[in-house]
Amino acid sequence: MEINQDPHYLNTQTPSPDMVRFFKVEDVFNMARANSLWPLTFGLACCAIELMAGGAARFDMDRFGFGVFRPSPRQSDLMIVAGTISRKMVPCIKTLYDQMPSPKYVIALGGCATAGGPFKYPGQYGILEGIDKIIPVNVYIPGCPPRPEALIAGILELQKQIKEGRTQGVMSPAAVNDSQDARPAEYKNAMSRAEFRKQV
Amino acid sequence: MSITVERNMKQWLLDTIKPDEFAEKDLKKNGILFEALARPDQIQSVAREFLAQRYFLESLTAVDFAECLELVYHFNRWDGCRRVCVKVLVPKEGGVPGNGAWHAPTLSSIFKSANWFEREIHEMFGIVFDGHPHLKRLLLPESSTIFPLLKSFKGEPKGSDVAQSLKLIEEDAKEFRVQEAQSLTKKDKDYYLNLGPQHPSTHGVLRVLLHLSGERVLDGEPIIGYSHRHHEKMMEIQTYFGCWPNMGRLDYVGAMSYNMGYALLAEKALGLVPPPRVEHIRVLMTELNRISSHLLWMGTFLLDLGAFTPFFYCFDDREQILDILEMATGERLTYDYFRFGGVDHDIPQEFAPAIKAFIPGFRKRLADYDKLIRRNIIFEKRTKGLGVLTKESALSYGVTGPSLRAAGVAYDLRRDEPYSLYPELDFNIPTATDSDVYSRYWVRFREMEESLKIISQLVDKIPAGETKLARVPKNFPKGEYYSACESARGLFGMHLVSDGSLNPYRFKLRTPSFSNLNSIIDMLPGCLISDVVAVLGSIDIVLPEIDR
Repeated sequence: MEINQDPHYLNTQTPSPDMVRFFKVEDVFNMARANSLWPLTFGLACCAIELMAGGAARFDMDRFGFGVFRPSPRQSDLMIVAGTISRKMVPCIKTLYDQMPSPKYVIALGGCATAGGPFKYPGQYGILEGIDKIIPVNVYIPGCPPRPEALIAGILELQKQIKEGRTQGVMSPAAVNDSQDARPAEYKNAMSRAEFRKQV
Repeated sequence: MSITVERNMKQWLLDTIKPDEFAEKDLKKNGILFEALARPDQIQSVAREFLAQRYFLESLTAVDFAECLELVYHFNRWDGCRRVCVKVLVPKEGGVPGNGAWHAPTLSSIFKSANWFEREIHEMFGIVFDGHPHLKRLLLPESSTIFPLLKSFKGEPKGSDVAQSLKLIEEDAKEFRVQEAQSLTKKDKDYYLNLGPQHPSTHGVLRVLLHLSGERVLDGEPIIGYSHRHHEKMMEIQTYFGCWPNMGRLDYVGAMSYNMGYALLAEKALGLVPPPRVEHIRVLMTELNRISSHLLWMGTFLLDLGAFTPFFYCFDDREQILDILEMATGERLTYDYFRFGGVDHDIPQEFAPAIKAFIPGFRKRLADYDKLIRRNIIFEKRTKGLGVLTKESALSYGVTGPSLRAAGVAYDLRRDEPYSLYPELDFNIPTATDSDVYSRYWVRFREMEESLKIISQLVDKIPAGETKLARVPKNFPKGEYYSACESARGLFGMHLVSDGSLNPYRFKLRTPSFSNLNSIIDMLPGCLISDVVAVLGSIDIVLPEIDR
């Protein structure tokens, strides 16, 4: 193709509005980011099975461009937290998140990742009540477990947010502040074995 | 044969041990033949005698009473239901949890499965097992200071900071890295490798610490607890009815068997007889769920081996089953459908025709799978002779389910401790002899065929009638109950101590994968790293069921 050497060439032309559009560079990047989300292969509990079902034959997340599950955090930019977060697992999740390259996005899939789900009760000792206590979350998906359709809807919502520039990929982690309530007096006291055996 | 063994055992217990308490129990009500109270210094000889008579340690747990802690040992045999219960008291005088004043002798040198059971009791109740080789916390982080299943534990106090506990956990991890570095300098060629907890082939959040020499595994140790969801403590503050959702979330892949287990426990204890329509629906549901569970296992297991296509085919078939189950239950995964003496609501009209439409298509698919997978030379080379579990090892670890049947033991609770409609049904118990990864695949594969056989026998004969009992008690009578059923992974047992109130006093869940996973310690040595995922995949684990 011959290149026009006239420096005022662009000004002399009147381009039709359909042919040329002007974007911010960031918008172009966001469009690319939104359409090639690579989720981390990362399952914690029940929701992970629905995550797998979402990637499998019937629901086929590849249709929307987010079916490229990567087992390594270094290659992925979307973390789908699928399942209950036990306290023993928290440092691992934090490490995985820190290892992901920016900009990165997080989806909390299901009740447990959102707020503790059915395992939340005052005085519980084992779980973290919601992943947003340690890392920032972009989209929350309710359900126990959510259906694969809900997951797809959630990721589409994330795509929309990214395209519109409403969400920032890189955010500083939220501070951990999760103080438990005191246990109400529902817990039983120990009963006497002798009396128990007598009455059985 | 086994009845003589059992009589002999009873006589031996009465003559030699002279238990302080001895009671015959009703197998149909309490789930055990008899229970005996031994002294702590006798329990090791009791265990040795039970092992000599080919009993395995089915479950080991503790119950917290005001004056003592009670250790409850359940022994069972592979030939029929011969479950017996032996108890040992650990007095509480002069001790607080954690100061090491509560002692009991260890069985870990006799039954290998006792190793993990005792570690769990140690962390949950604070009992120290003398002579245990590796008495560390099993499910909770090592830095924890709580003993949650004690009645004196009233929950995390207000203001207990998660940040603080996270800091401790991170310090644990750092300390581990230091140990690793030291061990590296000691031996030049050996090294440690962490598989998991984030690894696509560990089927959840399992961590396996591998000790390697080059590519070869010298030994491997599973580290569990990354999905501990305090089911047992949670059930103590819930009503009996409120425990149903927990059953759906223990083993979410085969949740119907767990529904079945809880329903059986209640029906045995309360003397309820479910209507025939209910029994038919339950067996249909359980077997459909067993197939869907095995399909999920097959897809992911072959994915681990590098075969990507079967994953899509298996999930395609699984979705069809889920459609049928969803039609009746409204759920795709975490079923909460059975009730005491009934099911939650009746099946819709389209239920039976949908199953009938599903059967021929799936039969054809099974034939396809067989051609594509079993006779595939790559599959054979990668699985044959790998991860062999001897019968002795299986007995010692208390392995059950398809993993045990692959070792040539036809132990299936549907046959050996019959419940629901299973005594009337015609089905085989598939077994294999080699006890390697290939055998486990082959046993599970044929189990799908057998489940399909059961379904086709029942689908035409669902009787009309009620799906619920009119009146069901809200609480269990005071006492102890044990019930077991065959889940997709093996023997699922529940030990309930009821104080007569509206919520359980102690609920122990004996989950099959817990013992099955423990047995990979014997399977891993000698494998290559790439074979570790094949061995892990072959025992079909579900982590939240192991960690509970």
